[in-house]
Amino acid sequence: MIAAEALPNRRVEGWRWSDLSAALVGREVPIIPGDRHVLARIAIGARRMGGIVVNAGETRTEIERVGDDGLDTRALEIDVREGASLSLVTIQEEGDVALAHRKVRLGKGATFRQFTLARGARYARLETEIDVIGSNAKVELNGVYLVAQGRHADLTSQVILNADHAEVRQIVRGAARKGGRGVFQGRFKVERIAQKTDAKMAHNALLLEDGAEVFAKPELEIYADDVQCAHGNTSGQLDEAAIFYLRQRGLSEIEARAMITRAFLVEALPEWLDEAIRSEAEGRIDTWLGAAS
Amino acid sequence: MLELNNLHARVVPEDGPAREILKGLSLSIPAGEVHAIMGPNGAGKSTLSYLLTGRDGYEVTEGAAIFEGEDLLALPPETRAAKGLFLSFQYPLEIAGVPVMTFVRAAMNAQRKTRGEPEVSAPDFLKLSRVAAQQLRIDPEMLKRPLNVGFSGGEKKRLEIYQMLMLQPRFMILDETDSGLDIDALKVVAEGVNALRGPDRSMLVITHYQRLLEYIKPDRVHILAAGRIAKSGGPELAHELEKSGYDSVMATP
Repeated sequence: MIAAEALPNRRVEGWRWSDLSAALVGREVPIIPGDRHVLARIAIGARRMGGIVVNAGETRTEIERVGDDGLDTRALEIDVREGASLSLVTIQEEGDVALAHRKVRLGKGATFRQFTLARGARYARLETEIDVIGSNAKVELNGVYLVAQGRHADLTSQVILNADHAEVRQIVRGAARKGGRGVFQGRFKVERIAQKTDAKMAHNALLLEDGAEVFAKPELEIYADDVQCAHGNTSGQLDEAAIFYLRQRGLSEIEARAMITRAFLVEALPEWLDEAIRSEAEGRIDTWLGAAS
Repeated sequence: MLELNNLHARVVPEDGPAREILKGLSLSIPAGEVHAIMGPNGAGKSTLSYLLTGRDGYEVTEGAAIFEGEDLLALPPETRAAKGLFLSFQYPLEIAGVPVMTFVRAAMNAQRKTRGEPEVSAPDFLKLSRVAAQQLRIDPEMLKRPLNVGFSGGEKKRLEIYQMLMLQPRFMILDETDSGLDIDALKVVAEGVNALRGPDRSMLVITHYQRLLEYIKPDRVHILAAGRIAKSGGPELAHELEKSGYDSVMATP
């Protein structure tokens, strides 16, 4: 189904670094036919398809934990109506194959905020598709991925802007150790009608050791002529001069590396996280950095 | 306190051939003394400071560095720091996302742990910090900001001395601490440095100019040229240098 094809096309490119069919080899995975996204069709087969409707003017927060079983697959169809607001936190910690798909529709003046923390699995793909159909919508997409030996985490997102005056902010940060693979794919599509869009995308990754892998594909596709769109994408190593500076002050090399990496990752935690989730996220980052040493 | 015997060292860049920088440097700095090292560009002054503090990329090919009877070169940088070695960097690094106070407290506790001492309590730490900030006329708000990020050159140098006052090192290396400082800031920084002078502490002050030595008065002045100490003398040597330049001073025996 996702086998190599002769010419590149968007569907093949979208799975280049996360080969789903290879991940599912040897498993009985019913994939329901239809027009939906493949992850949604798998979720329907697994009876893990859900929906969230946030009615006009309402504000909600949802916390979701992915990856509790060997194969965890789930999909959400989300409708955030006029003036409503949804904050969605997704934490993916364990699992062999962890799949999540969210399809979000945003009405006029609606807000969708997302924070995803992924430790990766043998194969993890967490994908979000957002359709902005009402004016003055706000989208905030934040994510952190932490991948060590044998772990793969793919954060893929797409925001399609079909209405004017939307504000979109995306910040994803990742850290990869030897044998870990991080994937970031972000796409903003600004349709002709979506004038006055203000959209910024940032993905920054740290490759902590030789043999770590990060693949990134930021895409801006713009058809409107009066918009502000920007993206920044970096991947690199820790600054050895900074590590030495910290060691000169007395921190061990392990502590120095952890301190700089932690500070780098924590910058992707959004302001709106409540205290409990924030400290859980920071705790998970610390645990990962500690175990990684 | 610190004995350098016939040090030969080379810098080993990741890409490129090694270069011999120190070529038989000998220097003895007793406890309680402040020594200044002056020298033309490329003489090996910064190499010396990095070598003493253990930065990667420097290799000692001959000679020894003994700190209080112990082979300094065998120790990792953090152990040297815990033993009381402090380098005020010529170009302090920016550490994004780590507030000054968080960082200094982590450093202080890491040093204490290495020395087998208990951690500093929060009230004690705040008290120390308040005193140090006042002494250096640092706005306490600045200490909540990420270390050196967006700070001016002068602020960064002041922050180096703040860290020094907080960590109370026993041997301080000041690598061109005067660069980037205006006269007023220089006085404030020098007062901070002088506050740490004492019979158990020593300093190595690396500078191009005599100006700093007006405020931090050295016991001895050495001229480092071509990788070794070319000439040593009292504070008057710095004045002489300022007046006549390196070439002329080194030409006279």
